[in-house]
Amino acid sequence: MGAPRSPPRRRALPPWRGRTCGPRSRFSFRAAGRAGAEPRWRRAGCGGGSVRSSTLMGARLAGSHVETQEPKTNPLVSVSDEPETLYKRLSILVKGHDKAVLDSYEYFAVLAAKELGISVEKVDKPPKTIERFTLLKSVHIYKKHRVQYEMRTHYMCLELKYLTSSTAAVYLEYVQRNLPEGVAMEVKKTKIEKIPEHIQKPVWDTLPQVEETEVKS
Amino acid sequence: MSSCGNWFLKSLFDVLILPCGRSHISPVPFSLDQAAPPRTERMAVDQDWSSVYPTAASFKPASVPLPIRMGYPVKRGVPPSKEGNLELIKIPNFLHLTPPAIKKHCAALKDFCTEWPSALDSDEKCEQHFPIEVETVDYVSSGTSIRNPKARVVTLRVKLSNLNLDDHAKKKLIKLVGERYCQETDVLTITTDRCPLRRQNYDYGMHLLTVLYHESWKTEKWESEKSEEDMEEYIWENSQSQKNALDTLLRIKASENVSNVTKEELLASEVVKNYRNSVIALKNEGETESNISQYKESVKKLLNIQA
Repeated sequence: MGAPRSPPRRRALPPWRGRTCGPRSRFSFRAAGRAGAEPRWRRAGCGGGSVRSSTLMGARLAGSHVETQEPKTNPLVSVSDEPETLYKRLSILVKGHDKAVLDSYEYFAVLAAKELGISVEKVDKPPKTIERFTLLKSVHIYKKHRVQYEMRTHYMCLELKYLTSSTAAVYLEYVQRNLPEGVAMEVKKTKIEKIPEHIQKPVWDTLPQVEETEVKS
Repeated sequence: MSSCGNWFLKSLFDVLILPCGRSHISPVPFSLDQAAPPRTERMAVDQDWSSVYPTAASFKPASVPLPIRMGYPVKRGVPPSKEGNLELIKIPNFLHLTPPAIKKHCAALKDFCTEWPSALDSDEKCEQHFPIEVETVDYVSSGTSIRNPKARVVTLRVKLSNLNLDDHAKKKLIKLVGERYCQETDVLTITTDRCPLRRQNYDYGMHLLTVLYHESWKTEKWESEKSEEDMEEYIWENSQSQKNALDTLLRIKASENVSNVTKEELLASEVVKNYRNSVIALKNEGETESNISQYKESVKKLLNIQA
């Protein structure tokens, strides 16, 4: 056996070019009520791999006990150790000029969320806004003859609850790639975090006492 | 061979070759009767539609076996049919996103998703374990640029009850942040957008939170000059109301010629405590039916009035 190779570095593609190996982080949150929190040793894809995966492979080939309920691993899936960020709410507002297009898109987005196991809190349809303006019809003079234009914007708001960062990345990329022409989207993500270390206790208790020096005037 | 025989064969061949020699003239104009029939006629009813429209594509009338009509009808006519219909080509279609196609895509994508931890099934539990909420907005639109300057704004929200603050620190923090604190929901909201990048704004927001937290635990020398006008809530001790009540009671006792009762005894008595509670309730919570009636009862007991 040669020296263990570090996993091949994945090419960093810009976000709109998509990823061939979607990262899938293992979430390392420990809560009081959560039972059976042992880490799932999903084998890292992309060949090579680190020492850990090669020893696992060795263990499997040696015929030792293999979890029979382990489903067939997707070679494109790679698991990393960093803990996942949690999104309490994902609010997607879609704007377009055509209501029929937005209705079809709503059906698609809701079905996609259901299939991926994401809970849809509600689907809201705010009323449309119409922006109108009046311009002169002619290039020169004829002030009494005008022409009026209007732009109608229809809205559709989809609220999703309780997503991990992997799931959110997958869902958003899928839904954004299939965004129709002429439709805009705003995604409001609400991430939840623990209070960081430096705000747990005031730092003044731990600092050494500094003697106050008198300012000599 | 005689020359007259040669000429005869050549003229024979000339007659035979002539109909095929159109290459030097423009080609035969294309007419639809000669074109192949549209693909729709060869489509089975139970075909795999996702292979006909695997990705987003414009509407092709010969590939879509539906009798769609779209457009404004002429007088006493019907909307135009799908052949050569620009309206059908202009509008974005969802033919590549039929329910079976969506299910196939999601089945392939399911492996990349992770589950939400089952212990965090309600908002309260999320609040308890993860008190800080960071809100960011992403914008997707078609245009010459994919950037949106509003995307750098970061909003931090945290409930003060989840932070490790004592009484003085909480009051000082509320005074420091001013409008960013909401009394009803006990939520501090910090919105940062002064940096050009979202990561920088997030770091700045966390830095602000850290600084506020630590500064509120400090006690400066000039904080001892805090007067009654600066107080957030009404405190009865050493207030005008206490002085008036004690004064009145002492005079009542003096006029009844009871032996000198001390201030501490008066303060510890039941009637004065009732009065104190009712005044504090009135000042802090505002005037409500119950508050005013409680005040009335306590004053009647204090001054020993039987109404």
